[in-house]
Amino acid sequence: MNNIVFQGEHLFWGNLGHSAVVISFITSILAAISFFFAERNPLDQSWAKLAKWTFYLHSLAVLTIVGSLFKIIYSHYFEYHYAWQHSSTDLPVHFMISCFWEGQEGSFLLWIFWQMVIGQILMRTAKNWLFPVMAVLMLSQIALTSMLLGVKIFGYKLGSSPFELLRNFMSNAPIFKLPDYLSKVKDGNGLNPLLQNYWMVIHPPTLFFGFATTVVPFAYAIAALWRKDFTQWLKPALPWALVSVMVLGTGIIMGGFWAYESLSFGGYWAWDPVENASLVPWLILIAGVHVMMLHKATGNSYIVAVVLILATFLLVLYATFLTRSGILGNSSVHSFTDLGMSGQLLVFFMLFVILSVCMVAWRWKAMPHSAKDEEIYTREFWMFIGSLVLVISAFQIILTTSIPVFNKIFGANMAPPADAIGHYNKWQMPMAIIIGILTGVAHLLKYKKNKKEALKKIGLLALISVLIAVILYFAFNLTNYVFTGLLFASVFGIITNFLLLIPFLNGKIKLAGSSVAHIGFGVLLLGVLVSSANKQVISLNDSGTQINPEFSAKENVENIYLERGKPNKMGDYIITYVKDSVHWVNTYYQVNYKKLNKVGEIDYEFNLYPNGQINPKFGLVANPDTRHYISHDVFTYVSSVPAKKTDAKFVNTKLHKVKQGDTIYTNNGYAVLQRVTSSTEGKVVDVKNLQVLLSAELKVYTLDNVYQAIPMYGIQNNEAVSYDALVDEARLKFKFTAVDPQTKSITIETSEKDQSGDFIIMKAIVFPWINFVWAGTIIMVIGFLLSIIKRIAEYRKSVAP
Amino acid sequence: MKKTSIIGIAIIAIAIAAIISMYGDASTYESFSVAGEHPGKEFHVVGVLNREKVKYYEPKKDPNYFSFYLKDEKGMESKVVYHNPEPTDFDRSEKIVIVGKMDGDHFEASKILLKCPSKYTDEQVKT
Repeated sequence: MNNIVFQGEHLFWGNLGHSAVVISFITSILAAISFFFAERNPLDQSWAKLAKWTFYLHSLAVLTIVGSLFKIIYSHYFEYHYAWQHSSTDLPVHFMISCFWEGQEGSFLLWIFWQMVIGQILMRTAKNWLFPVMAVLMLSQIALTSMLLGVKIFGYKLGSSPFELLRNFMSNAPIFKLPDYLSKVKDGNGLNPLLQNYWMVIHPPTLFFGFATTVVPFAYAIAALWRKDFTQWLKPALPWALVSVMVLGTGIIMGGFWAYESLSFGGYWAWDPVENASLVPWLILIAGVHVMMLHKATGNSYIVAVVLILATFLLVLYATFLTRSGILGNSSVHSFTDLGMSGQLLVFFMLFVILSVCMVAWRWKAMPHSAKDEEIYTREFWMFIGSLVLVISAFQIILTTSIPVFNKIFGANMAPPADAIGHYNKWQMPMAIIIGILTGVAHLLKYKKNKKEALKKIGLLALISVLIAVILYFAFNLTNYVFTGLLFASVFGIITNFLLLIPFLNGKIKLAGSSVAHIGFGVLLLGVLVSSANKQVISLNDSGTQINPEFSAKENVENIYLERGKPNKMGDYIITYVKDSVHWVNTYYQVNYKKLNKVGEIDYEFNLYPNGQINPKFGLVANPDTRHYISHDVFTYVSSVPAKKTDAKFVNTKLHKVKQGDTIYTNNGYAVLQRVTSSTEGKVVDVKNLQVLLSAELKVYTLDNVYQAIPMYGIQNNEAVSYDALVDEARLKFKFTAVDPQTKSITIETSEKDQSGDFIIMKAIVFPWINFVWAGTIIMVIGFLLSIIKRIAEYRKSVAP
Repeated sequence: MKKTSIIGIAIIAIAIAAIISMYGDASTYESFSVAGEHPGKEFHVVGVLNREKVKYYEPKKDPNYFSFYLKDEKGMESKVVYHNPEPTDFDRSEKIVIVGKMDGDHFEASKILLKCPSKYTDEQVKT
């Protein structure tokens, strides 16, 4: 078997990549050990030197893995399973980048890459905390690089290599007995059509950078426990934690934006397990950052801060386990296949859980314990309560998301809630209300001691917020009283934080990151509230009521049937499915919207091009198209298209004998014969032996447009030939069939395109004020950025000689 | 009582409430007979499409009415109505998970999940 010499393979890149994986794994072990001993033996410089050099070698190896894998995808080396499985020759370059992380191995590689970059930054900035922090970071790097090994150790396959050859992956397929098998593997499987989107090029790297950064505060917290130094680590760890909050938050909302722009579930957040898995560490990290800050200010709650910071990274690992082990199975739209690494992932997760628990237990007594209870009228008390609410909110989310895990452990038979969104909203809405109010209250109070005036101020602002909330309630046409709480919370959060921001507006805004971030949160809350409360499905369909006896009025009849060219009234819009066109693998359906004003006249019109891809692997993959306005979005997608387009049939054929200037009437419009010419110039016809060619220039008028049609008639090889003219938009075909020189008239045959079988079924939703969601997020990210700058400056000052 | 203790107790209470709510709202994988005993309660039912019986979808008449017959894992069959367009690739499905409740003579599905044979692990080499 082994003596077959395969032709045309590019084994060099795979060997290079695989060797780099092995080197990166070994160097990460060496680096972790040497950083560990460098910390233990501060007097022995050789450990430090060894650590540094192995880490540099490790970085080089990681870059080599990335380079080789990209080369394999970019050059379409389909002898590699990864390239074959995740890419195809027809992909544009930017989507090839997405192929890189479509597979699990690629996303682990992305994580490894970022963690390496973070290590490089730490080498330059961590100063006297370098050794213990890097030791922990390299420990995580060992675990991650082992995921790419793909080697069998004692019968257990460790990791999965992205450089596996196709012929080894499917060694039983007969095709791989042929030496020239590669010439038969012409194309790869292609990229999942849902990932063929610009957002998918930048969302995963951002999210993984966010995941990767959570290791830094974790490493600092472990290092502090190790050194028994419970104060010095806070200053350098805080900016890192804030970077993590910012990047992870951006990554999560980018995912939401991707879902909104390219998935057809109609929204930006669906409480999908994969979304939840990335949201939960973020919530815990935000709680952790708040407790860290209140500890810095008051000296209390140290243990809580440490536990939350440790928990963030552990939850990132847990999220990885959930999404990558295949345990979620059917409960998520993001289905990842199990590469047989669930055991390894679990070991990875448990390793860090045990490390964290042991470290905390070991230093439990030594850690600073809070001396006394917090006073109620202080910022720290309410910051602490707010953090606890975040923890509870995260706990509730991870609990329900973990249902498949409980099934595995306890052998239960539970399924995720049938109405998942309702289930989560029921819990998360009150949490959001409390958090929104606390962002205002805690900020208005000072640390430690407060005068009575502060309370009066809170009362006054609350009153003003109630008034504004009531006004907004009617302005936004809200109908559910439950929303008033949320409305009040977001308004209160926005105005109190804005009030606190005012003194900083004259150039000192750098110092007010926290107010800015909290305003952003308030705006985000407002956007979520208004866009989801007033979200309106406009494609309601009532045409079936009379025809279908089995039909009963149900609320979920949200799709509308559109025959091509036939206008339909839908809400305040007249919609028409105009035509379809094919670009690359996607079919775009042009849907024309005419907005009616109150008296039923056309206000303005626009076209949307939702597309669908009939993918051999995934079925109909529909991508929505959205018209954005400042106050609302019109969101449209096709939910079904005819399985097979029947060939166009033409019916109602009629002959018309016409002279110049005469009019031809059809059911779809009328046409006027402009003139008949005999020029062949610029005509796409076969001119060989062509004796005569006449062109009939017709102007075609439909209800709302004018088109031109030029059917032609000629004599070629002494036989009559005719070239049809099709006006697709008007669904009319013209054929020039005869000339009568005596009466100076010609005969035109018209036929109408049969449209039955050419239809789409689509859904349309109007999201009012969804721009608040995006605006709130952007303001929040700017706030994080300002805070990071401020905390870095603080840290610089503290280490300055 | 210290404030810390009060907060601690409150947190534990809320956590327990969250666990109970998870149990309460969680659906279960059941057969049609169980779903029939509890009309109005939502279940997940796993089964296969009965290809011999009529599958009805006439978008021209009603784009939001799709019905078919599903045989659950215990072999019991029921008509299923789904007030949405027929999912593409429905015929290729090997296994179908429906989420919904029994409503008189039929099962009213609010969600349909398809398990297609080659959805994620298409190991056929195209030649």
